[in-house]
Amino acid sequence: MFRTEEMDINMGPQHPSTHGVLRLILNLDGEEIADVRPVIGYLHRGVEKLSEHRTYAMIEPLTDRLDYVAAISENLGYCGAVEKLMGLQIPPRAQYIRVILAELQRIASHLLWLGTHALDLGAMTVFFYTFRERELILDLFEQFCGARLTYNSMRIGGLYEDVPAGWTDRVRHFITIFPSREKEYEDLLTVNRIWLGRTQGVGILSAEDAIALGTSGPTLRGSGVDYDVRKAQPYSSYDQFDFDVPVGTKGDTYDRYRIRMEEMRQSCRIIRQALDRLPEGEVRAKVPKYIKPPAGEVYHVVESPRGEQGFYIVHKGGEMPYRMRFRSPSFVNLQALPTMCRGRLIADVVAIIG
Amino acid sequence: MRPRLLVKKSASDGRNGQTVTDENDIKGEGPAPPGDASGTPQPRPAPAPEKSAAPKTPPPAPPAAPKPAAPAAPASPPAAAPKANPLTAPVPSAALDKIREKFSDQVIEVTYYASEVTVKLKQERAEEIWRFLRDDPGLRFDYLSNVTAVHWPERPKPFEVVYHLFSISTRQRLNLKLDAGEGEQPPTASRVWPTANWHEREVFDLFGIRFHGHPDMTRILMTDEWVGHPLRKDYPLEGKPEDHIQLRDVTTAEHVYTYDKSSIKGFGWKKEVEKTGEGRG
Repeated sequence: MFRTEEMDINMGPQHPSTHGVLRLILNLDGEEIADVRPVIGYLHRGVEKLSEHRTYAMIEPLTDRLDYVAAISENLGYCGAVEKLMGLQIPPRAQYIRVILAELQRIASHLLWLGTHALDLGAMTVFFYTFRERELILDLFEQFCGARLTYNSMRIGGLYEDVPAGWTDRVRHFITIFPSREKEYEDLLTVNRIWLGRTQGVGILSAEDAIALGTSGPTLRGSGVDYDVRKAQPYSSYDQFDFDVPVGTKGDTYDRYRIRMEEMRQSCRIIRQALDRLPEGEVRAKVPKYIKPPAGEVYHVVESPRGEQGFYIVHKGGEMPYRMRFRSPSFVNLQALPTMCRGRLIADVVAIIG
Repeated sequence: MRPRLLVKKSASDGRNGQTVTDENDIKGEGPAPPGDASGTPQPRPAPAPEKSAAPKTPPPAPPAAPKPAAPAAPASPPAAAPKANPLTAPVPSAALDKIREKFSDQVIEVTYYASEVTVKLKQERAEEIWRFLRDDPGLRFDYLSNVTAVHWPERPKPFEVVYHLFSISTRQRLNLKLDAGEGEQPPTASRVWPTANWHEREVFDLFGIRFHGHPDMTRILMTDEWVGHPLRKDYPLEGKPEDHIQLRDVTTAEHVYTYDKSSIKGFGWKKEVEKTGEGRG
């Protein structure tokens, strides 16, 4: 007689497809997934506690490490939150440069995602192509602030300094060549039969589930919900740019892939407009040397490449926050993983995590 | 340190209305192209429901009220009203009006900061209010962005659980708060918004607040064996590991291990028997 019983198997904490440390306890029925229990916290570094004992200027380098492949988005959100707490107005030139940096960062982050995601699904070529372009963006960041990964590029009240001479031309060059490069990835993947087979209909998340589970970013928009913080609650003068928010129809991995591809094109559009209309003037508002905001609490959200990144600051006086909370989109998006994985095969988990 | 402007349910007067118009003016005369640096959009629908006049007035009714005061306002903020801080000025909120209308006895306190509205509620009917906010066709707060807590050791109820709501259809935000005493179990929001599941596990992990009715009240970031809740204000920040780090045996929940450098067996973890019977906590 054969016996049938469900089996628990560990995927991770070290698994090549998780890109980081993530442990999934898969509950299997044959090769089908009955349930998934993600175990996280391997990279918990206590940033919230650390922030309670640092001044506002000292926290910014910590925000780089919240998401080390999209550090500028975190810098932007953190500075925005403190500026909101202080009621500061940022010079328009600084706002525009911030937008350019954040959108370049979005492209770089999506490129890293695309390369590794394709690598996990067996398409190795894309990885080398995307890293070629990501390198160009990292070079731009290096010219701007000297760092390639953890930039600490912004300051409360604006930017550390203005862009170097000729930098805007190099950015313009990048966004001129980038669309043709993106077409190369699309040629490799978008109508590739293996790619379609691995991603279409895999990891479907309905719009209702996506909202109820609090997902955001491409995961939410892939399910057909039109919510982008840049449009819904514009910050850093995003309301002055003309761009579209791509929305999926089926909520599968393929839709999420298409949305990220389209977002890179839209980022180029935003950067082009920002370069064309880049205002002159200061890049830093008048900020006291010791930042002592009035007592109060704010919740500021920005659209990071992964979704809604929230910053909650409770301040009761002095130079340090009383409580600092970082709402990270990936933490919440991961909660939707069991819903997406149920009934699929183990190999699909790799496609869904990507 | 400026005092926060607290507006209790009926403690309303003309000054609140005045500050609303002041704030509108400040926003209006500011330079338009740079945009709002703080990233706070002005609430769109229902311009200025005068919450002070009568809580039951429907939002669109008195849009004329702030207008007459507007021309005189620009001169007044520096001279007449030194306390009128634009950051703490009240802003109109349709959600707040509806909560006041239906659950007036549940609102403890309303706070405004930088165009954000924060409502502190009582625990008893919290779940009912959440469901109302989620399902009401005019509000539809279907997206729970964040749940977290703040520890105030000096207060009689030392914990504040904070909920950040967003409505995808109306683009409104609303912050809710509940007070929780030591050992008290506030109701779980995961039955209303499933996303609260992990957020509440994180709050439990880092603050030790258990949520009543939560399907899986376990630690999420720290290991299951950890003893203590790191984001509490009284959690030790200094000292050697052996002074305060302890691990609990989760299978029996009876043994607590402390760190002993001299012991090589068991990687330095020394067993101390303690009858807690609590498990996983």
